[in-house]
Amino acid sequence: MKTMRNDSEINFSNYGEYDINDNLDLFLPNTEIKIQRISDNTFSYFREDSEGKITEKIIPVKSNKLKIELSPIRPLNHPARRTDNIFLKFDKEIYLSKHSAASIFVHCPIEIGIFLIHDSNREPLDWITCNHLNSRFGLYGSPDTGTLCKYAKVSLATDYSDSIPYVEGVMKIVIENTLSSGQIVSKVIFPITDNSLYYENSKTIIDGIKITMKKRALVNIADVKIIPIDSDWIKSPTWEDNTVNTSMTMGLE
Amino acid sequence: MTIEFLQSLSEMQIVGELTVLSLLIGGIIMAGGVILAKIAKLLFQKYYAPTLPKDTAQNLSKLIYFGILIISFLGFTSSQGIDLSGIMVAGGIFAVVIGFATQSVVSNLISGVFLIVEKPAKHGDTIQLPDMGISGTLLDIGTFSSKIRKFDGTVIRIPNEKFFTSNIRSLTVSTVRRAEAMVGISYKNDIENAISVITNEILTTMPFALCIPEPEFRVEELGDSSVNILVLVWHPRDDWSKVQPLLLTTIKRALDNAGIEIPFPQRVIWGAKD
Repeated sequence: MKTMRNDSEINFSNYGEYDINDNLDLFLPNTEIKIQRISDNTFSYFREDSEGKITEKIIPVKSNKLKIELSPIRPLNHPARRTDNIFLKFDKEIYLSKHSAASIFVHCPIEIGIFLIHDSNREPLDWITCNHLNSRFGLYGSPDTGTLCKYAKVSLATDYSDSIPYVEGVMKIVIENTLSSGQIVSKVIFPITDNSLYYENSKTIIDGIKITMKKRALVNIADVKIIPIDSDWIKSPTWEDNTVNTSMTMGLE
Repeated sequence: MTIEFLQSLSEMQIVGELTVLSLLIGGIIMAGGVILAKIAKLLFQKYYAPTLPKDTAQNLSKLIYFGILIISFLGFTSSQGIDLSGIMVAGGIFAVVIGFATQSVVSNLISGVFLIVEKPAKHGDTIQLPDMGISGTLLDIGTFSSKIRKFDGTVIRIPNEKFFTSNIRSLTVSTVRRAEAMVGISYKNDIENAISVITNEILTTMPFALCIPEPEFRVEELGDSSVNILVLVWHPRDDWSKVQPLLLTTIKRALDNAGIEIPFPQRVIWGAKD
């Protein structure tokens, strides 16, 4: 039997750390999480997600308390981890005239991670997406040589405060066109595994990227670099294995 | 004492010039060779094999092991004063006879070498041999035969000659694969509308269906009873089982929800008047 409530009646839980003595209920859009003590050193974990899928786990603990952190994570895990790359398709094309630069904010899908906190370590317990419809795959390039990416059609945001709680964070993209002709940018593809996420209450911001369109030999390329955010917001723990890669060249059109 | 003992052994002749001492030395050489081969194989498997593709590592490991054994055997024969040149001549004639008798074995061996060199597929690849109707995961390319684990869990052994001369379809080379399904809709229904509702249902309910490239539709045939549409859906390479088996179900649900008819085969009969 479906037990989830109507979302409009619920005050959703904020991101952050939670101490659990006996039980804790967390409410997210289309998702409900219940953690309950079932014995002195054991807790149970129950989650029903936006697709009606139920996940249950048993969590043995050393102390008699359980501490968790709810935080946004990179959108790479739903429906399954298959790639490190993200394909953001802009709902409106951006035109950059020659030798010009622009700075834009875009919405970027996120997922939510639940981490167990032991001392200062955070161990991933579970993850969810509150908008499974915006969690799909896309291919950049041809089927034989293309790059598999997580795909999302995204809209421009006004600034960092424009984050859509639990569903989309805001990312700053700086685009510089050093070419001698105007360029239309309609999508950006890059590995997102080095971009950190930061949260405050229910909002999320993501490390930005700087894209430089330039000519190398006779080929136009787009060089993508990460712009770390200097923010007071809390940095999210890393969900997946991270490969150090500070500079990369990926597709951009 | 020891020297006297060895001297006595060297004087104990078994056959011709073969003495107990030379046999003992030969035995030590062979035993040393076997131990050395095993150690070399172990060291290779521990330190170098993990960095190589699995089938290459297996073949190199066998090469090292048997190479050392052959060298040990040659050391053994020379320590016994055995002249191999006579055996070589006899062996040549013998090899011709054996060659005719074991043509298929040699053919499999040579094909195995070519398979290792050409590498049409590697260990762990999902492959299909359309000529033989075999699909599965390649487990091993061995000296004489290759092993494939079929999707039903059974393992099939294929002689290397057959494997080498077959058409091999690799299902894991590309990043993405395409699932296909054919569906027929009634002539009275709008094709564009049917395509629209199927696309929407696929992208909404099949998380592994790729948004880019979008599902593709081809009107294949204006059939006897229906307009037949081929639906092509791309998906990540490893998620075939989460797309292909569900595709027809998803299409039927989309058409049912939109009230689009999937017609039964039908024939219109006109009765002639007198």
